[in-house]
Amino acid sequence: MKFGIRLRQAGCLAGMVLLLGSGSLRAQISSGIALQRRLAQELGLAVGDTVRLGTAPDSMGGLALVTAIYEPRPDPADVTKRDRHVRLHLPELAALLGAPDQVDRFGLGLVPGVSADTAVAQLQRNAFGYQVYRSDAIASESSQTFLVVSRFHRAIAVITIVASAVFLLCIMLLKVEERRMDAAVMRFVGVRRRTIFGALVLEAALVAVLGSGLGTLLALGAGLATNAYYRRFFDTALTFSLITPTIVVFSVALSLGLGLAAGAVAAWRLVRTRPMVLWGRG
Amino acid sequence: MRSLMWGLRSLTRQPLRSGLSLAGIAVAAAMLLDMVMLSGGIDKSFTDLLLGRGYQIRLTPKGTLPFDTEATLSHATEIVAALRSDPAIASAGPVLGTSIYGRLPDSLVTLFGYGIDPAAQGLYRLSAGRDLTPGDTSGILLSPAAAERLGAGVGDTVTLVGRLDPQVVTASVGRRLVVRGVVRWLYDYRGQPSVGTVLPLMQRLAREESEDRASLLVVKVRDDAAVPRVAARLRERFPRLEVNSVADLVVQFKRRLVYFRQLSYILGSMSVIVTVLLIATLMTITVHERLGEIATLRAIGVSRGTVVRQVLAEGTVLTVVGAALGILLGLLTARRLDAILTSFPGLPAAFSFFVPRFDTLRTAAIVLLLTGSLAGLYPAWLAARTPIARTLREEAT
Repeated sequence: MKFGIRLRQAGCLAGMVLLLGSGSLRAQISSGIALQRRLAQELGLAVGDTVRLGTAPDSMGGLALVTAIYEPRPDPADVTKRDRHVRLHLPELAALLGAPDQVDRFGLGLVPGVSADTAVAQLQRNAFGYQVYRSDAIASESSQTFLVVSRFHRAIAVITIVASAVFLLCIMLLKVEERRMDAAVMRFVGVRRRTIFGALVLEAALVAVLGSGLGTLLALGAGLATNAYYRRFFDTALTFSLITPTIVVFSVALSLGLGLAAGAVAAWRLVRTRPMVLWGRG
Repeated sequence: MRSLMWGLRSLTRQPLRSGLSLAGIAVAAAMLLDMVMLSGGIDKSFTDLLLGRGYQIRLTPKGTLPFDTEATLSHATEIVAALRSDPAIASAGPVLGTSIYGRLPDSLVTLFGYGIDPAAQGLYRLSAGRDLTPGDTSGILLSPAAAERLGAGVGDTVTLVGRLDPQVVTASVGRRLVVRGVVRWLYDYRGQPSVGTVLPLMQRLAREESEDRASLLVVKVRDDAAVPRVAARLRERFPRLEVNSVADLVVQFKRRLVYFRQLSYILGSMSVIVTVLLIATLMTITVHERLGEIATLRAIGVSRGTVVRQVLAEGTVLTVVGAALGILLGLLTARRLDAILTSFPGLPAAFSFFVPRFDTLRTAAIVLLLTGSLAGLYPAWLAARTPIARTLREEAT
């Protein structure tokens, strides 16, 4: 079986190679190779198997022994890609690719006390044919995709909040309107407007808090289901839905604020109406 | 019609309540519209983009998608000649994509270089100047961004530099070229500085000439209906290459963007549920408030069917008016959401996520109208089974 894969020697040299399952032969890539778990699963390979590697289907060269199966660190950037990875020792990969003594990039660890900016500036001055970056600059660049997704989620959240706010206001208005008779009777027996107003607002707040509590439980359940589904779908350990205490507090507070506002508007409309009108005789 | 008018008049009795309900339905309908546009728009936009120049098939190295990796295929000219000999194929051309540099007086500019066959290219449209001619090894095409970075226009000379060698502090290969035209590369992201030359020249600059390498081959089939058949034949003929028709690529692309499609289904469903809940709640409370009125109508001979129709009509009016407002709101929000998503790094500038398609919009409208109207079923049932005598007695006391 043949399989196109990205071959990567962590942070140094990457190239496209093909891998061909080939039974038990003596390996020519002496150090052995490590296969990504998903690749090993897809090709039915295990430690001890021998594969043939090459850069093109018509140049399947070096035999290699699978000496390890590894699980890469979950990376959101790779989650939807079909890339499958194999790890080799750098000189053997370079030889396989016909690029001896060549690398894609170097990772530098600095001596304690040396600032990354100083090192970058100094190296950049002498650079010809290469570019020097701080690791966090690369991380920032490669996380642009997720920033876009995050902005999209925020926009969707705004629309959802507007819809929820209108819905809540509407429901509160209807709930309070339902209490016209009660309010009329209370006014007839001498209960003050302020008391009725307070009671209605309190009821609205209670409904909002209970509703948001129920919503939080629903969201937690949906989050668990989302994570279970997408982890299985993408075969990854990534977390897709994360509901933090901050999010819960924000949601409950927002719901309470909206509930109070909606309740107050509806209660105000009710208490300023004459009792006889509320009674339906005005 | 009379029922609808009655429903409309009923809604004007409580303007604040009706206004809020309409606002809620409008926002939910806008969300539904956006999500429907998102679910269908990705496919349509990507298909239109791929068929921008009419090439329906791509051949790439085995196991890869076009420009998904740096992998290249060898003997490009030979394969293209074989493709062109197929009577079903109208045109075939090679493409090499590589990183390259442009020389400025005091520095180098990083560019993306395309090596193409001007007689068979599916990558660009001419904006200014003229196109390359086959065999033109002294001409170059620039994207507007590349022209800006190089400070060059049509007729100017620019210097392209190939692989840089840090050990001898020089470029291994360089070439002075005359700008023939400014072009819009179909698959470039916004502001991508791209240049194009004939394939052999780009291969030389990228040091890929020894094996006549290309990133992909594009194929135009004479008859659209024959594309799947031709693709299958090419798979058999070139087992060492990956052969993808536009339909195959759309499937692959959809797999990559599965998250957005699923999100659109979930949010779209939620919008429908919110609409139903809102209308059902409003109508139920309205019916409860009007039990006396309904009982009176029934007492003077108005049939149950008429009462049910009037309640359903009220729900329908709410849905129709809310949905109409929702369409306007949805188109506005879609533009904003599209602006967010199209800022994905590396995404072709011509790509859109939110594309209105008549068939999907019609389906969404029907779903909304049906569910909105059906939301009035429970309150209509309540209205129909109002006990006339008891309700009138309670209303009188």
